[in-house]
Amino acid sequence: MNSSPVQIWRKHKNLHNYLGKTGRLLVWTKIFVAPTGFEHQTPYIVGIVQFEDPSTSSGQVRLPAQVVDCPEESLKVNQKVQVVIRKIGKAKAEDVIEYGIKVKPL
Amino acid sequence: MKVKVLGTGLTKFGEHWDKSLKDLAFAAAKEAIEDSGLDTDKIDAVFVANMLHGKLTGQDHLGALVASNLGIVGGAFRVEAACASGGIAIHLAIQSLMSGTYKNVLVVGAEKMTDAGASEISSALMGAGSEDERKAGLTFPALYALMAKAHMQKYGTTRSHLASVSVKNHYHASLNEKAQFPYEVTLEKVLESPIISSPFTLFDVCPVTDGAGAVVLSSDSTQPGVFITGSAVATDTVDLSQRSSLIEIAATRQAAKEALKQAGVKISDIKVAEVHDCFTIAEILAMEDLGFCQKGEGGKFIQKGSTKLGGSCPVNTSGGLKACGHPVAATGVKQIIEITRQLQGRVGKRQVANADVGLTHNVGGTGGTVVVHVLQT
Repeated sequence: MNSSPVQIWRKHKNLHNYLGKTGRLLVWTKIFVAPTGFEHQTPYIVGIVQFEDPSTSSGQVRLPAQVVDCPEESLKVNQKVQVVIRKIGKAKAEDVIEYGIKVKPL
Repeated sequence: MKVKVLGTGLTKFGEHWDKSLKDLAFAAAKEAIEDSGLDTDKIDAVFVANMLHGKLTGQDHLGALVASNLGIVGGAFRVEAACASGGIAIHLAIQSLMSGTYKNVLVVGAEKMTDAGASEISSALMGAGSEDERKAGLTFPALYALMAKAHMQKYGTTRSHLASVSVKNHYHASLNEKAQFPYEVTLEKVLESPIISSPFTLFDVCPVTDGAGAVVLSSDSTQPGVFITGSAVATDTVDLSQRSSLIEIAATRQAAKEALKQAGVKISDIKVAEVHDCFTIAEILAMEDLGFCQKGEGGKFIQKGSTKLGGSCPVNTSGGLKACGHPVAATGVKQIIEITRQLQGRVGKRQVANADVGLTHNVGGTGGTVVVHVLQT
């Protein structure tokens, strides 16, 4: 489901917090049946990534993120990954293009 | 807790192209009221469980819509808690009876899903997830696939263990004329079907379903019926990644502990159960987290036949979400109907002998909401 321009603006303000961070890929799945807006990407890989973050009580933060720029066969549990900024979903011609975080293997 | 199920009603689960949500809700409710032996004017309130109808069709205000269609003019409420909407509606209805506000209430769970396409349904269901999960392109099969992968990594659970859940539940559905897929499947068919989200194939995943279920509940314990002796809800983070563990649903443990305590029974006393098998891993997790077996042993426990009809505690005799079907908000109500009818000895070929204590387990999202009920004769 597409976000409104103000929702995208609000989300974009926080993206720099994640830029360049590295973490570990805990688990992943390859998706063949996608929700609206992601159909053109299938199949694609999404995993749960754990980042070190001293500002939190546990010292760690976990996020779901797409894993890009690699074949699935090359991934392994606890794979080191780095955050990159990429387009999220598919915007229509007159929509604001949304960006968000994905990860790529290091 | 002195609440009784007086009557039950259930539509066929499947593709009802000729019926609207209003039609399905009416059919299930009418059957439940007739089964209860009460006149409609004795129903004080209606609780309508639904997750998707407003999003898919624009029609909200379902409490009054369903109640007025039945000629009921008392309280009318719409309840939403993702796939646990039905169980939560039952829980709230019980609270309304125990408070003394109402004496007899109707709970209707209804969902009309097959009018929408696969991507539209996948997106709508992701309303039960978090914004971060939606932006990552996750779907519910994918979220449970992540839990399955984590379970496989830690405990050595196999694709064959997962598939055995589907095989068992299809066998049970083959004995249920109300099931969406009333036929058996082989382990090979499950393993060889197309991949939806690795490691899940098509037969690891519950279908898109239309259907409705309804029950009449009463605080009048002199009426004939089945007692609900435990009703408990527990919650957790909506976002799967924010949990401390991916290999358990902590809310299941908490809700089960409380519901069993209220009923004064142990998990070993349960003779029949309906659990939330939206994906095959979900039934494995449910067996472990409810306490039917040790953590990590769920796959082997199911594969050896303990939960098949004829086993020590048959689970999902309706066919479960996988094979009976999963009209999202109707599921929690259907579970209560199946256990009620098991305890009344009304389910024919899939009857569990000497069933006197049963349990239902209904999950919203990936475990953000869990509701557990215990029923007794």
